[in-house]
Amino acid sequence: MVRTFIVCAVVVSISGAARAHNAKDWLGEEMPLPLAVKTPQDLAVKAVAERQYLIFNLLAGGKLAWDAGDFATAATKWESLLRVPNLDPEIDHVVRPLAVAAREHAGGAAVASAPSAPAVNAKPAAASTPVVAPAPRVLPVVVSGTIAGGGAPGPGGAVVWLKRSNGETPRPAPAHGKVISQKGKAFVPHVLAVPVGTKISFRNDDAIFHNVFSLAKPNDFDTGLYKQGATYEQSFHKPGPVQLLCNIHSSMIGYVYVVDSPYYAQADGSGAFTIRGVPPGDYEIEVWHEGSSKNTRQHLTVGVDGVRGLDLRVGGDRRPPEFVPDKSGKPRQSHLGY
Amino acid sequence: MIARFAIVAALVGFARAAWAQAAPDAEPAAENENDSDGYTPPAGGPGAPPLSIDGYIDVGFARAQGDGTSFSPNDTRLPVDYGVDTFAPAVNSRGDVASTEHGDRLVNGFLPRSVGIGGRPSFLLNVVALDLKYAAPGAPLTIFTRLLGLPRFSDQGDASRFLVEQAFGRLIPFDSLELAIAVGKFDSVFGIEYLDNESNIRTGITPSLIARYTTGQSLGAKVFYRLQIPAAWSAVSINAAATNQGTFVESLQTADASLTGEPVLSARLGYELNLPHVQMKIGASGSYGPRNDQSDRGAKLQLHGLDFRLAVAGVYLNAEAVQVDEDAGAAKTTPSGPQLVASGFHARGFYAQLAWAIAVDAGPLHKITPYARYEQRQAQFEGFDRITVDRITAGVRVELWDSLIVKGEWLVNRELAGAPNVANNVQTASVVYSW
Repeated sequence: MVRTFIVCAVVVSISGAARAHNAKDWLGEEMPLPLAVKTPQDLAVKAVAERQYLIFNLLAGGKLAWDAGDFATAATKWESLLRVPNLDPEIDHVVRPLAVAAREHAGGAAVASAPSAPAVNAKPAAASTPVVAPAPRVLPVVVSGTIAGGGAPGPGGAVVWLKRSNGETPRPAPAHGKVISQKGKAFVPHVLAVPVGTKISFRNDDAIFHNVFSLAKPNDFDTGLYKQGATYEQSFHKPGPVQLLCNIHSSMIGYVYVVDSPYYAQADGSGAFTIRGVPPGDYEIEVWHEGSSKNTRQHLTVGVDGVRGLDLRVGGDRRPPEFVPDKSGKPRQSHLGY
Repeated sequence: MIARFAIVAALVGFARAAWAQAAPDAEPAAENENDSDGYTPPAGGPGAPPLSIDGYIDVGFARAQGDGTSFSPNDTRLPVDYGVDTFAPAVNSRGDVASTEHGDRLVNGFLPRSVGIGGRPSFLLNVVALDLKYAAPGAPLTIFTRLLGLPRFSDQGDASRFLVEQAFGRLIPFDSLELAIAVGKFDSVFGIEYLDNESNIRTGITPSLIARYTTGQSLGAKVFYRLQIPAAWSAVSINAAATNQGTFVESLQTADASLTGEPVLSARLGYELNLPHVQMKIGASGSYGPRNDQSDRGAKLQLHGLDFRLAVAGVYLNAEAVQVDEDAGAAKTTPSGPQLVASGFHARGFYAQLAWAIAVDAGPLHKITPYARYEQRQAQFEGFDRITVDRITAGVRVELWDSLIVKGEWLVNRELAGAPNVANNVQTASVVYSW
C-alpha cells in the first residue's frame, strides 16, 4: 500500500514537474549515477540505486512523453519498464494499463493484456506540441541461427547461450514447471536446458520402478526408487551438464544442462535456435551438445537489429558410453540387461 | 525541485535498504524469455543408430621374476602342474602368464595361456576387442557379440588366436518386469568377477586367483530376474543359466560343445541395497553338473560361492569366496591335448579388493584409483599335495580423457604350503584405449 502510494505520488509529482520544467533539464537521463564505489557495500548500494533509478526513469519518462503527446516513446518506455526483472507487482499494476493505452494511441498493437484507461489523471497533449523524449536506451533483440554437427544423432538438443564479454551477465530467473518424465525406459525430454536455480520434477510414467541419479558434481543427486506416478523434485544450482541415469536400467541416459545466463536456447531437430531478449553488445556465444567432447565458443557482437542466420558447429566425437556407470560409479555392461 | 528531492529521497531510502542486504550481486535476476521445453529425438528420426560398435585395445608391458613360471627347477614331482599354481605369474587382463615352460616334465593340462615372455621384460599386445551391439528398433531384442583378437608374438607361448568370446541374443519380454532371457554364448552368472572381465572395466590389470573357476563363458540359455523393494531401497535378483560347460575360464575348458550331453546349471541369488551414498550387494552362487572336460556323466562338478560389494563415497570393497569340487573322471581332453587322468580336484579361495576412486578432473586427468587386493587359494588334486598360495597386489589406475586408461600393478606371489618357493613376482602395466 505504501509502495502504491509512493508510485502514484511520484507519477503525480512528475506530472506536475513536467508542466513546470523543461524536460531537457530533468535529472532522469543522468546515468550511470556518480556514486563512488570503494567497498562491496558501495557496489551493492550502487546496483540497487541504479536499478531503482532505471525504474523511476522509465516510469517518469513515459509519463513525460505521454504528456507531450509522444505516445510511441511513452509506450516504449513503459513496456521497457514492464520487462524489468522482478518488477514490484504494484508498479506493474499501475503501469501496465498505461503502456497498453500509450501503445494504442501510438497506433500499434497492445502488448499488455486487459487494456484499460490510464490511471493517471492526465490527458494527451496536442500532437502539435511535442516534447522530444530521449530515445530508448537499449531494446532487446533476437539472436538466431543454426547449429550443425553433433554426430549421427544430429544437432538437436544442443544448448546455446550468451555471456557478456564486457561486464557481468545478468543472473537468470529460475524456470518453473519443468518436468522430466521417465517413459518407455527413456528420459523425456532427452535434453533439457534450464537456468540456474531451477527445480525440476522427475516423474515416473512407466509401470515399473525407476530411479534417477547423477554423478555430475556438484549437481549430483539420487532420487531413490519411485513407482509409477510418483515424482521427485531436484533443484540445480550450478551451471554445467548433468547426465541423468537410472540405477535400474542401464540403457537410460538423459541430460539437464544448467545455464547461468538468461540468454539461452535449445536447438530443434534441424539445429535451428532462437534466443530472445538479448541487449545489444559484445558476447561470448557457447554451445554444448551431448555428442561433443568440447563446447563450441566464439565471440559475437549483437547489434541493435540482433543477429540472424548465425551458423555454428558442434563436434560429434563423443558417443553414448558403452559402459554406463551405476550410482556408485562402477561401469555396467548394458548388454547383460541388468 | 520537488521532483529532484523526491528522487534523492527515494535513492537514499533504497541505499539504506541495500546497505542492510548482504547480497552484492551486480545485477538482479533477469526475466526468462527463453524458457525451453527440452528436446527429445523423434521416433524414427536421427538418433542413436541401432547398431553400435565399440571396443578397446590393451597394450601392456610386463616383467616377471625368474623364468616367468611357477615351476621350480628342482621340483621333480609329476605331473608338475599339479604341484604348483601355474596361474600365479599372470601378466595381463586375460590371466595369461609370463611362461608355462616346463622343460621335459609331464603336465596334465592344468595350465593357463602363456604370452611366452619368460623372465624378459616385454611389451605385449594383450587384447584387441570389438563389441557389436544391435538393438532391434521397436522390439525388446538385443544382439550382442564380443570378438577378441589375442595377438601373440613369442614362439615360446601360445599362438595368436581369434576368439568369439560372447555371441547372444537377449530378450526383455515384458515392459513391466525386470526379466531378461539370453540365448547363445555369454558370460558366467557365477559370482561377481565376470562383471569386471574386460580391461576397460576392471579396476586393476590381472584377474584374481579364483577367477579361473568363475569367469568363463559358455553356450546355453540364461534368465535374469530382479524384484525391486523400494521401501527398503533394495532389490533381490536371480541369475540362472543352463550351459554346455561350467564357469571355468577358456584355458581350462574344451570346445563349447557338450561332451556329456548334460547341461551345467549355475545360478546366483543376489540382494542389493541402493542407498543414496551407500551401495551394498551380496550374493550366493552355485553351480552343478558334469565336469565337461571329460565324457563321464557321473563325474560331477560343484561350485559354491559368496560375494560382497560395498561402495561408499568412491571407496569400493569387493570380496568373493568360492569352493570347487570336481569328481575324478575318465581320461580328459584339454586345450593342450588328451590327458590320461581326470583327477578329482578340490579348491577353495577368496579375494578382497579395496579401491578408492578419486575424481580429479584436471584437464585430461579424470580419475585416479589406487587399489590393493589380497587373495588366497588352496587347491588339491586327489592323490597329490594340497597347495596353498596367496598374492598381494597393489596398483593404480589413471583415467585420462574419456577413453584412455593407464594402469600399473605389482603382484607378490607367495607359496605358503605344498609347493616350492619360487621367485615369481610380477610387475605389469597396461594402457587401454576404448573407442
